[in-house]
Amino acid sequence: MNGQWRLSSSFERWLYVMAVAGFLTLATGLFFSPQRALGSLLMAGFGLVCVGLAGIFFVAILYASGAAWGTAFRRVPEAMSAILPYGAAVLAVVFLFGSSLYPWIDNRREIAGFKAVWLNFPFFLARAVLYVALWLLFTRAILKTSRLQDDTRDPAARRRNAKLSVMFLVVFGITFSLASFDWVMSLEPNWSSTIFGIYNFAGLFSSGLAVIILLVIWMRRVGPLRDFVTDEHLHDLGKLLFAFSTFWMYIWFSQYMLIWYADIPEETVHYIGRQHQYWMPLFILNMLLNWAVPFVVLLPKRTKRTGNLLAKVAVVVLLGRWLDLYLMIQPATGGSNPQFGPWEVAAIVGTFALFILVFARAMRSAPSVPLGDPFLAESLHYHN
Amino acid sequence: MSGRVMVGIFQDEHDILSVTREVRKEGYTILDIYAPYAVHGLDKAMGLQPSHLPWICFLLGLIGAAAKIWFEYWTSASDWAINVGGKPWNSLPAFIPITFEVMVLFAGVSTVIAFFIVSRLYPGRRAATVIPGVTNDRFALVLEESDAAFDPVQVRRLLERYGAVEVIERAEEFLP
Repeated sequence: MNGQWRLSSSFERWLYVMAVAGFLTLATGLFFSPQRALGSLLMAGFGLVCVGLAGIFFVAILYASGAAWGTAFRRVPEAMSAILPYGAAVLAVVFLFGSSLYPWIDNRREIAGFKAVWLNFPFFLARAVLYVALWLLFTRAILKTSRLQDDTRDPAARRRNAKLSVMFLVVFGITFSLASFDWVMSLEPNWSSTIFGIYNFAGLFSSGLAVIILLVIWMRRVGPLRDFVTDEHLHDLGKLLFAFSTFWMYIWFSQYMLIWYADIPEETVHYIGRQHQYWMPLFILNMLLNWAVPFVVLLPKRTKRTGNLLAKVAVVVLLGRWLDLYLMIQPATGGSNPQFGPWEVAAIVGTFALFILVFARAMRSAPSVPLGDPFLAESLHYHN
Repeated sequence: MSGRVMVGIFQDEHDILSVTREVRKEGYTILDIYAPYAVHGLDKAMGLQPSHLPWICFLLGLIGAAAKIWFEYWTSASDWAINVGGKPWNSLPAFIPITFEVMVLFAGVSTVIAFFIVSRLYPGRRAATVIPGVTNDRFALVLEESDAAFDPVQVRRLLERYGAVEVIERAEEFLP
């Protein structure tokens, strides 16, 4: 079970080519079209960090709630979290060139009051290091306990990880909220929305579930999870995707409606640009991809239990996630019209290839199911 | 409806599941199963068709949402238009939260009412149990003694093989 499965060597070679080509293109883009390339890099780095966090967040939820059903495929979200340091490295490059992206770094006159204290570059970097360090520490600790249990078969490991998970969930809630304020919201330093953190969390988790679904279906098809994952597991993952894409819409609308109602110029400025000209169709499409399509398609029981259909919905949600990040980041970096060109394509190709490579290596580094977990048997016989 | 029924009484969830599968495989007609709680997988073992309730829930939800959108438009933009905060009279974002609530209300309440109607439950209805034990710790499988091919002795033996603690025969009129 351990290490039998691997990427086919030709596919692996292609992925290396795609990853290197993607990130090299973006690196040259930093000289040709710095604003757009930086925006794309920020999307790539933040997107990858979010996928990694979604993985460890899902694992932590399983432990903290004492859930048995997800044990059979827990190694998939565990392996997803391996992308975290890579995403953080991409973000580090973005911050290195940060002064052209974040207007408050050079134009100190633009901000005042508490923002002038909070948004200063050394403090910003120190915070980023702190967030990422906390995430990595908790991820490493939870994964280590989970993998030790494969050999020791010690049921107490579950309790130890439950404690770690509860602590992580609290830390995650605070740090991720602040990270999304720092890294994304401060692109428009005079605009603020207190719900922005949870709005980003909603996107993180619904797209993270879509990634988990795609990887679980893939792992079931190619081998490592073939005898472990059933339609019952897919059914529950589908229910979660349904629930959290609706949650995303709920939070999206909560942010939009309050700003629309209050109609304060420094708040509405965020939406006015995004609701005019060529941005408007994308603004509508965002809601369709992230909510309307998954909501309608996932309503019947059958779609949640059919791997092929569920995978298609997950792809739609991932497209929606890309568009959501695009609409958050690119209008703020100074693009007056939506543009899709080499830098955007390079970011998509590079992040996809890098993620698959890192995931495959992490997946191979441990047995494909947690053999020592006392809940494994219950999860294998799980039914709704 | 003057046929006779055979009732097998079991005391274990697993027994009722396996006997249900076996009885269905043999082709006997299951009239109903009574259990003190919802047994996982019993609907599949009985071969029950998917419920129609989700459709009622979905359609009534849609009707509720549409009716509320229309009503809000009618009150705030048509019948007695009042300018609130300089917003347009027909302000869709302001209508959404209430539309959502009314959709949930219609969908939820109508599903419960539809459930009561299809299961013929109403206030004051006399509780009907095949034996009193099914409200506590017994599971009862009710089979129709449909035709001459139904051999009571053979079926009784089958039920006992699967752990029936008691097998009784009754006229169908006495059933709930």
